[in-house]
Amino acid sequence: MAAIEVDGLSMTYRAPLRDAGLKAALASVVRRRYKDVHAVSDVSFQLEAGEVVGFIGPNGAGKTTTLKVLAGILHPTGGRVRVLGFTPWQRRTAFLKRIALIRGSQPVGGPLELTVLDSFRYQQLLYEVPEHDFRANLAELTELLELGPILQRQVRALSLGERMRAGLALALLYRPDVMFLDEPTIGLDVTAATLTRRFIAGYAERTGATVLLTSHYMADVQSLCPRLILIDKGQVAYDGPLEKLAADISPYKLIRVTAPQASTDDFAGVGEIVERADDTWVLRVHRDDAAQATARLLGTLDVTDLAVEEPPLENVIDQAYRGLATPAGSRS
Amino acid sequence: MRRLARLVVLHVWRQVLAWSGSWWFLLTLVAGQAIAPLIGLFVWSEVFPGDPRVASYYVALLGVQIMTASYENHTFSEAIYDGNVTHDFVKPKPVVIGPIGENLAIRAWMTLIGLPLLLVVGFAMRTTYAGGAVVAALPALVGAAILRFLFTWVLALAAFWTERVHAVVGLGNVLVFLLGGSAAPVVFLPEPIRTFAEASPFRAMLGLPAEIATGSLTATQAVEGYAWQLGWIALFAMAAVVVWQAGVRRYTAVGA
Amino acid sequence: MLVRMLRLFGLTFSMSIRRVVAHRTNLVFDILLATFSLAGAVAAIQLVYTQTESLAGWSKSAMFVLVGTFQLMTGLRATFIDPNLSWFPDRIRDGRMDLYLLQPAPSLFLASLGTHAPLGLIQVGLGLGVVGLGLFERGTMPSAVGFLSWLVLLAVGVGVTWALGVFLACLAFWAPRLQLQVLYGAAWELARYPVDVYRRPLRLFLTCLFPMAVITTVPTAALMHEPNLGGVAATAIAGVAIILLAIGAWTLGVRRYTGATS
Repeated sequence: MAAIEVDGLSMTYRAPLRDAGLKAALASVVRRRYKDVHAVSDVSFQLEAGEVVGFIGPNGAGKTTTLKVLAGILHPTGGRVRVLGFTPWQRRTAFLKRIALIRGSQPVGGPLELTVLDSFRYQQLLYEVPEHDFRANLAELTELLELGPILQRQVRALSLGERMRAGLALALLYRPDVMFLDEPTIGLDVTAATLTRRFIAGYAERTGATVLLTSHYMADVQSLCPRLILIDKGQVAYDGPLEKLAADISPYKLIRVTAPQASTDDFAGVGEIVERADDTWVLRVHRDDAAQATARLLGTLDVTDLAVEEPPLENVIDQAYRGLATPAGSRS
Repeated sequence: MRRLARLVVLHVWRQVLAWSGSWWFLLTLVAGQAIAPLIGLFVWSEVFPGDPRVASYYVALLGVQIMTASYENHTFSEAIYDGNVTHDFVKPKPVVIGPIGENLAIRAWMTLIGLPLLLVVGFAMRTTYAGGAVVAALPALVGAAILRFLFTWVLALAAFWTERVHAVVGLGNVLVFLLGGSAAPVVFLPEPIRTFAEASPFRAMLGLPAEIATGSLTATQAVEGYAWQLGWIALFAMAAVVVWQAGVRRYTAVGA
Repeated sequence: MLVRMLRLFGLTFSMSIRRVVAHRTNLVFDILLATFSLAGAVAAIQLVYTQTESLAGWSKSAMFVLVGTFQLMTGLRATFIDPNLSWFPDRIRDGRMDLYLLQPAPSLFLASLGTHAPLGLIQVGLGLGVVGLGLFERGTMPSAVGFLSWLVLLAVGVGVTWALGVFLACLAFWAPRLQLQVLYGAAWELARYPVDVYRRPLRLFLTCLFPMAVITTVPTAALMHEPNLGGVAATAIAGVAIILLAIGAWTLGVRRYTGATS
């Protein structure tokens, strides 16, 4: 059974419309005009149990809205959603006990005055974790996330990295089957971000939890998610393996060629130069022309090294976000 | 000196704009200030049903309370707690200008918002004032405004030493309430409390202008009141300087 | 579910107490402030009674009991209600409301009873002391029925206080910029005196519309005079109705927040 099923999910807000100026402000008091904002329209996808999927898209694409619907915070205006067999927005206790939503911008909820250990005790009671499991899980989480030194400290006094670790541990104390991670590494330094990523991957592998993760950092996605869902303007623009994204989205490949005797003119008509360092040029060529271009370069120049590469994921995504490439809307 | 005056005006204007979006919050501030004088008005009108001066006094007091409200324990002390005060330490101007600007801006807004309330209550209670008495009270109102600011400011500086600045200012406000003419007009206080209250800074920052405006003081009493007020302003101004310097020394030494 | 809610309540409360004890200087300051404020309130009453024997039909001893009751209720409100429901719009803005919805417990419970400020209990203790002072001043003890009615009415008062807090919080779902909290605080101050002191329109407002009379006037009157049991029952029923209305308002508010309506 799929852990998450989303079918034709739509979320439309009614936002009050107001023109600038005093007259318009007064008019809006009498008769309000609204405009429909389609945050998400007709989104469908499925996650099998145990999958780790990256959910990416530009700001305002509808990622957080979708996560909130899946976690039961928002009631969609249309579509069918099942998470672990539940309809999320009914917010049944049995459902809430099996999911976690962790936001990197605010990893620890609840009273900030509590110590981390007190927060664990609160979480134990709230999620009814048996004492035996509590001890075992706490010991494990404490070791994996290096929580020892911060257990007795107030949440208020923690650094952002420490908060993220504490927040992860608090959410995982009750062993959720489905985790929604919203920007889990935002604002973290390199070490803390790496630790967080490694931990999430480890947890998913150990427990078979289903993970849906949004992030603006490609490092998160590349290291964690074999599968990507790209959402743009409230619609799924790509859904498939990470490696195929570049091929689908970007019509280009990069040719990195080292030729000590070559000059810029030699590349005219072969491809667009996007980078140059000493004797090495990086050319951007259309995907279909890559083989031909390679042959031509090898034939005309004294090449010491040549490699054909997929464009860096960051650039591909950037292109996709800017709408430079035509997104392949089909599922693969 | 002219530069300072222009800086103050600039700060006031900036804060007036900054607060202009929070009129709803300002309204709640006005309500918070108005409640004690209104209760006093109801209670003492019940005790002396026939005396029109009670109503006049408390309506005037309501005006004084709104126009002299000071919140440095919220505005400035918070800047000390969250460390934002250090931004002001590095600017080439006295730090106190910022708080003065914000104080005046808040009072200006509160006065504007409180005016309808004042008119409604005054009209409902049929209060009347002699023009001369009101004019004679205006300098006392200015003095009260200065003194209330200095008083709150000195107490708010306790934030350099303790986390409980609200408790400190709260204690001060209890004294102002009791001895300043809000719990009861100072003339109704039993001796010897009355004599003490008349000379206290609390009356000088709250009850004095209202008493003069109501016309319940003789010329000699009014002059005495003014003398006490000026004395307290001088004293609290000196205290403000001394406490400020000690606080900054502590703050920069601890580096909190 | 109810047992778990009680246990959660107990756990957070004991955690808050430990936190308070850990900060002794704050404790000293708060005790000082509470004592001083109450002394101020008592002194203000004393001042009134230097000029009169009876204020709107209330004797000095009855007035002391009323001030004590007011302090007691203020303490309960400061301990259990204000830390949760004041500035509720901020909680929507900073995402804490989402958290309440995510946790496997009723969101209203989490939002309205999740945190405590036990320092407010100092005021409860001091208030009880002043109630005792008032009874001592009167000389005779009230009847057992009087005491019981007082307690029942206080419980109703706490319920109504909570419900009013919930109503104000619910406003945030429709008009997030409207912060009526301080107005509530100001109206609350009016309960320092019996509603009989106020002029007719205000008195009606405080009795029927924004029932501050239930906080102090009604319980104190029941304690000081033989209570009218029918009246006590009617007040209790009205109180329960207000509580149910508040729960209904919250349910509607959450529905709006999650977008289930419109």
